[in-house]
Amino acid sequence: MPKTWRSTAVIVAITLLTFVFVPYIYNNQFLLFNMMMYMALALGLNIIYGYTGYLPFGYVGFFGAGAYGGALAITFLHWSPYLAVIVGGGAAVLVGMILIPLFRLSGAYFSIANLAAAEALYYIVANPHLESITQGPYGISLPQVYDPNGAYWTMLFILLFALVLSGFIRGSRFGLALAAIRENPLSASMSGVNVVKLRSISWLLSALVAGLAGATFGWYISVFYPETVFGLGIGVFTIVFVLFGGIGTVLGPIVGTLILYGAYNYIGISTPQYFQLVYGLIIVLLVLFLPNGLVSLAKRRGIDVP
Amino acid sequence: MIRKTLLLMILGVSSLIFSLGAWAAPSVIKIGTLYAGSGNFSQASTRQYAGLQFWADQVNAKGGVYVKAYGKRIPVKLIAYNDQSSTTLAASLYNRLITQDRVHILIADYGSVLTSVAIPLAREHRILLFDETGTSGKFFRPADKNRYIVLTGLPTSSEWPKVLANFMRKLGIQRVAILYAANDWSGSQANTLKSTLKKLGADVVFFESVPDSTSSYSTILHRIAEAKPEAVAEFGYSNNDVAFLQDYASSGLYFPMLFVPNPALHFEVVRKAVGNAAMRYVYSYVAPPLIRYNREVTHGPTLDAFEAAYTKSGGRNIDLSTVAGYNTGLIVQHALAKAAKYTQESMRTAIDAFSGKIFTLDGLFKVNHEGAQIGESLPVGQILPTPSGLKLQAVFPVESAAAKYVYPQPRKP
Repeated sequence: MPKTWRSTAVIVAITLLTFVFVPYIYNNQFLLFNMMMYMALALGLNIIYGYTGYLPFGYVGFFGAGAYGGALAITFLHWSPYLAVIVGGGAAVLVGMILIPLFRLSGAYFSIANLAAAEALYYIVANPHLESITQGPYGISLPQVYDPNGAYWTMLFILLFALVLSGFIRGSRFGLALAAIRENPLSASMSGVNVVKLRSISWLLSALVAGLAGATFGWYISVFYPETVFGLGIGVFTIVFVLFGGIGTVLGPIVGTLILYGAYNYIGISTPQYFQLVYGLIIVLLVLFLPNGLVSLAKRRGIDVP
Repeated sequence: MIRKTLLLMILGVSSLIFSLGAWAAPSVIKIGTLYAGSGNFSQASTRQYAGLQFWADQVNAKGGVYVKAYGKRIPVKLIAYNDQSSTTLAASLYNRLITQDRVHILIADYGSVLTSVAIPLAREHRILLFDETGTSGKFFRPADKNRYIVLTGLPTSSEWPKVLANFMRKLGIQRVAILYAANDWSGSQANTLKSTLKKLGADVVFFESVPDSTSSYSTILHRIAEAKPEAVAEFGYSNNDVAFLQDYASSGLYFPMLFVPNPALHFEVVRKAVGNAAMRYVYSYVAPPLIRYNREVTHGPTLDAFEAAYTKSGGRNIDLSTVAGYNTGLIVQHALAKAAKYTQESMRTAIDAFSGKIFTLDGLFKVNHEGAQIGESLPVGQILPTPSGLKLQAVFPVESAAAKYVYPQPRKP
């Protein structure tokens, strides 16, 4: 068994135990749910950004597509929420496939085009003319399937899936090929790596994780508006958590979310008046002194971070 | 014999402790709420919270609220967190209020978006949600059979424009253009106005939506003009109203009647952004404090008394959000004073019992079975020049009118 996979197995076990047992001593279930959601999103973003170098500013578009995909499956097909979560993942993958041509762009142009695509998707969903399908701006209401416990365990499963997927990619030839694409797509292509195909696969896997998380989030809160699930804040938080932990690793997005989302909640409750100042300072210091994230501290000391 | 006596003593002491525990009143009534210290909803949310805080300070100065279940006054303690206008953070904080702070009373943040995430949580934990300004109709659907929500202030937003539709028909207006921002609050008003006008025999000659973030209405205004409407109603948030009125003022176009909703909610905010010239003769709703309930008030202070006390205490000028926050405190207070037991179900039953029987500074408090507010209505007002400056005054219906309307509005020089 490769070392990366062993390390991933340890991370999976610790994550599983943490989110199974913490609810017994800390009963704000929604905070734990959000923590898992952002960890899964951070891992999903890391698959495309950390492993291939493409940063999608509009990553929240997949999240929103998943939330609406799942909600529509519940509303119109009367499917169980578990099946609806899978439909949500599928909806995000579908959106991902439509957006594959964006890879003709690179760098900031790709990021901005992706952001525009997410905004376009938001306005399509919120369009009053689609009220009969998406409820337009009037939002979704799913009281008939409200089940916070079911959604909690589903989100834990999605987080573990994202962890295993990340660990698998990192330790596989597929991950090596993605790293080659990240470093230099032209050289990777000349070395026999099918850049278009592998990049598209990682893009769709990244979309799948966000879609599953979005559908589960929609199920958990059961009443939401387009701006709730397409809010750019969700995407910005996810990017910051990945950067803070360290891109291109399995552990980085988990640690980044744990610390920053924890701090976000702690500061927001203890000193809300200084929230923006403190949180902003943390991010400025991160960019100045730890541009490669927290895991770079360990790497500098020769410690291999999975 | 000794063993029997001991057993009896233990049983007696146990039952005494048990009965004391069951009847022991809490030292404070914990009231949990959220406010948006930043973000889209901060302006209205902080004002609403200030109104609620003022109520808490007032009742604590008198020793607390009277709780009928314990037959005495108990101080209230407000536990409030800043959700920064974020629904995900709001949901987490509502959860914290219920599960960790174990509040007795849960009050929602401002507006439908920040209220929406509290509804399933309140229902799951069987705690009554006092909804201050979340007026979305889908919170109160009979099919949901949710008894854990009460809208304390405004009627549901889909009810708001019914008086406006009647007013337009009274003026003989036949052709109406409706423009609205794509959000729940604006869309539901636009749809109601459209359907009510059609029922009354009017023609809706333009009916379109724009994104919330729209900041330029020049092109849309010219498209509306092509439809030759006699009245134009624009529904949106404050930023939409401001941009719409500014662009209308500079467009050179003329419509005999213009309606926007936000002067009723934040008159000074809109006036300062738009300027007096563009505001003159524009129609809007009229809500407290612009409509002043004094003589009718049967519960709590009159609006004049509240305004005097609030500003004396160092508060800013009052607006609808401030009144809504304070009014929620009054409804909570009355529910505690009337509930036979100190339970959520008993409070809900008490609210049903006094629904339609009390009149506060915000209007008649009356809720239906689903908890939606049906007692208050919003008259139509017009922004008219007065010796003391521009003033939004009720002009319809007749029983609420404080001034005579000007229709068609004079052309701008």
